[in-house]
Formats: sequence, C-alpha cells, structure tokens
Amino acid sequence: MKSRLWILAAVAALAAGCAQVTKVATGEVMLRERMTVTTATTWNQFERGLGNDTPTWTQEGLTVDALQFIVAIKDGDLIAPTPSEPKGTRPLAFKATMQPAEIAKLYETLWTRDGSQYTLDRLAPETFAGQPGFRVEYSLVRKSDDVRLRGMAVGAVKDGQLFMIHYAAPRMAFFPRYQVQVESLIKTARLR
Amino acid sequence: MACAHCAALGGLWAVAGPGHAQAPTGTGWAMPERFARPDLATDEGGLWAIMDREEKRLRRSPFKIRDEALQRHVDDIVARLAGPHAPDVRVHLVRVPMFNASMAPNGMMQVWTGLLLRAENEAQLVAVLAHEMAHFLQRHSLHNLRNVKDTAAVGLVLSMFGLAGALTNIALVAGAMGFSRDQEREADRIGLEMMAQAGYDPREASRLWTNLVQEVRAGGGDTQPNAMFATHPGSEERADTLALLAADRSGTVGAEVWRARIAPWRYELLRDELRRDRPAETLVLIDRMRNLEPSSAELRYFRGAVLHQRDGEGDQPAALAEFEAAVSLGQEPPPTHRDMGYTLRKLGRTDAANAAFTRYLERAPDAPDAALIKALTEVTS
Repeated sequence: MKSRLWILAAVAALAAGCAQVTKVATGEVMLRERMTVTTATTWNQFERGLGNDTPTWTQEGLTVDALQFIVAIKDGDLIAPTPSEPKGTRPLAFKATMQPAEIAKLYETLWTRDGSQYTLDRLAPETFAGQPGFRVEYSLVRKSDDVRLRGMAVGAVKDGQLFMIHYAAPRMAFFPRYQVQVESLIKTARLR
Repeated sequence: MACAHCAALGGLWAVAGPGHAQAPTGTGWAMPERFARPDLATDEGGLWAIMDREEKRLRRSPFKIRDEALQRHVDDIVARLAGPHAPDVRVHLVRVPMFNASMAPNGMMQVWTGLLLRAENEAQLVAVLAHEMAHFLQRHSLHNLRNVKDTAAVGLVLSMFGLAGALTNIALVAGAMGFSRDQEREADRIGLEMMAQAGYDPREASRLWTNLVQEVRAGGGDTQPNAMFATHPGSEERADTLALLAADRSGTVGAEVWRARIAPWRYELLRDELRRDRPAETLVLIDRMRNLEPSSAELRYFRGAVLHQRDGEGDQPAALAEFEAAVSLGQEPPPTHRDMGYTLRKLGRTDAANAAFTRYLERAPDAPDAALIKALTEVTS
C-alpha cells in the first residue's frame, strides 16, 4: 500500500510540474558539468529524476526504464537525497574510501529498502571513463508492482568522487531492447 | 517433540468435540457460526470482491513463498485455530523482511517472512495467526468500511476518484487506516483464547511482543516505521496485558518443530534482514537467536556481517572476531571468508585478507563476485 501511495505521490509530483521533461538530442551531452556521454539515439530527460536529484533518462517512461547518471558524489554525500528520509533508516552516504563491493552494497540497500528482492548476478572490475572501476549486474523484483527487472551499473571513484551510470528495465522486453545502446553510451563516458 | 505436540493437540480436539469452536471462553467470547459469502450487491460483498482481486494478484506474485511443507505446516495450524471457519481462511506467506501480518475480510491472510524469522517457536507464530483470525471473526474490516462510509472521507474519495471508483477506494482507505486500537485489543484477547483452546502456551504472545519492542527500541525507539506498531496499543500496555491474560496458563511451545521447519529458509531470510540496513535492530534479533542456538556458525557470520556493514567505531575488529568464531565452529557459509577478507583489508592486514579471499574462491568459485575478488587478490598480492 505504501509503495502504491509513493507512486501516486510521484505521479502527482510529475503532474504538478516538479519534474520537467526535456528531450535529449543525439550527440555529446554534458551532465552536471563533470561527465560527458555521447548518445546515438534521443532520450527523454528528467533532470532531477523522481525527486532524488539524479539526472535520469528514459525511453519508455520512468516507471519502465531508467538510465541514471550518478555524477561526482562527494565523500559524505547521500547517494539519493530525498525530501524526507524514511524514519529509522541510516542515511545512505558515499564514502571516498569505499571499495566497489561496498558501493554495490550501498545501492543494493537503496533499491531494496521497500522490500524489493535483489539478486547480484555479477560484480567485476571494469574500466570506466579511463578509470579503474567496476561493473554490477543484478536482477530485482520490484515490490510495488511485482515487475522483474534487470539492472546494470558501471562506475569508478575518481579523486574521491563517485561517477556511475546505471540502467534498469523490465527483464523480458525492455532491458534487452536498450542494452546495446546503453553499453555503447557507457563506453563514451568522459569525466572532467 | 513433534509427536508429543500433535498428540496434545489431537487430544484436546477430540475431547472438545465438534461443538468446541462455539464453546464460550474465559473472555465470554464465542466463535461465531461460519459466514456465508455476502451478496455482491452489498457493501460487504463489494469489499470481498475487491479483496478477491487482490488475492488473485497475490497468488501470482513472485513474493509469495512457494514451499509446500512450510505452507502445509501453517495451514494445519490455522485449521486447528479456525474450527468451522478453516475452509474460509487462506494464509499467504509473503517474502517481505518486515514483521507484519494482515487479515482481509474475505479470509485472505498475509504473513510476512520478517515475522516467520522472528517467531522463536510455533506458539509465537500461532499468537499472530490467532490475532489475525480474531480480526476476521469479529469482522473488523467491515466495521471499518462502514465507519469510513459514514465519515467525510467519502467526500474526499468521491472527489478524487468519482463515483465509479468510490467503493474500491473506500476499501483501500479503510485498509490503509488499519484496525483501531480497540479492535487490536479485542483481537489480542480473542486471539489469546483461541491460542489456549488449540493447546498452545498463551504466554508466548507477550514474549513475542516484548522481543519486538526490544528490537525497535534498539533502533532508536521510534516504533512508527514498523507497520505492526502503527495502530496497535502502546507497546508496554500490550505486552503487559497479554502477559496478564496469559498468567498461570501453559501449553505447547513447539520450539524445535518450528526451528526445523524454518531452517531451510533461514539463511535467505537473514540476508533479507541484512538488506533492511537497520543494524541495531538486527543485532538484537541475532543475539536473541544466538541465545537459543549458541553453536550456530551461520548466526556468528551474520552478526559479523551486520557489524562489517555498519562500519562504526570498533565494528571491524568485532566483525573479524565473529567471522573467526564462525570458522572455528565449522560449517560457516562461504561468504564468511569473503567478508572476513574485506574486514581484514579495512584493518590493513592485506596478506591475511588475500588468504581469506582465496578460501572464499575455493568454496564459491562460481560466486557472482568471484571476478572482483580474484582481481583484488592479484592487485594486492
């Protein structure tokens, strides 16, 4: 019930114009003045995401697929600041000393706080934007609507700041449909 | 233990006979006759139809636990509690790591896995099942629906959803509002009687509640985030009242039979618990479980994992001690060695960390994080 109310609130916020949608044209795109990516296809952009201040792109709509850009999260910063943190929960803050497994765990906690079921499929080293980084692949059953998602994130810590690109979508149709585009886009990432 | 338990219950049932369910109890409460399915044209019928749709969704949900033995075990308990109503009550075990259970007016009961993990014995599980059954038998949801219809909430719902959606949303509002505190008190009293009649020790109801209060207090004392606390009577009042009502009574506890039944799930449920990321609460839970099972390597591992994840002052050395204790007990889960490796790295003991990572890879070569662990050992060795 709470999850549904949250979705209703999010939809209401969208309807009220809290989250403005803009079109992302093909070519190089600057994100928060610290990361660039080059996209071969157009996307719809929610500059502040769904109230979590994370630039988010989508092809099918935010409740279907979401491509998120985590840009220059500093030591002590919350990974997904929201107007009100759930009562009794620890603030999910990034620490500059975190290892890839700890970063993956931090996001796992964020994605499962509502009771969603998470399975880690792969955690491996991977170069991101020229930096030694990591890749996370996972499966998630979303609590709010029972949808089975696949997700992937590639990221790195540079000068104590976290940079990461994350994509998640329903596993059967949408994830495979956009996976190649997303993988190509991730390879174009550059940090400033 | 299991045989003695069944015999005790069977004896009770046989002595009581078919009229047992209707017999007056110590509270003056008597179990009502079996309910007929309400006419769809009535408010109650509409409420049932909505809940039937919700139940249809739940049956297909990936969160529903599909474990025949566990399901049969719980269904058998409900059959003993519900008497003539047993055919009308369906329990769905749902994988959600919080402590909660709920009862819909159409007989759909949901029990979350956070509750299954926390029940120390069968009697504590029965306490919750009986409490939820009492809501059903007293038709509390229907009373709530009629109360909501009588209040200004109807206007709000109508304005939001229009006439067509009104009944659906009144039902949702009624559900969202939960049961009143008086209804909870009544369900506590009746549930306790049902529990005692079925041969279980009613004192376990108070113990379950006291345990839960200790957990939530450890997490900062705010009981509101826990769904079970939202509309329930004050914690101390509830534990005290249940203890008072159950005083001088006894019955079956069923610790071993329940522990054996939940054992195949415990590792996964503890992983779910870890993901809740409420370390103070989880430590209280694990410590309580360890008191009952001091030689469990699994519990030592999870205690270490909570401390490692919390990463507060002194947590990493304490986590390391737990991991070492798990290894010395034997049959530790493979991730014990991985988390020990990460802990040792944080403590600056790289060689020992690499040795732990190597042991992890030997035990879990196909683990999803094997590539990362392998890379870590290659970089630092």
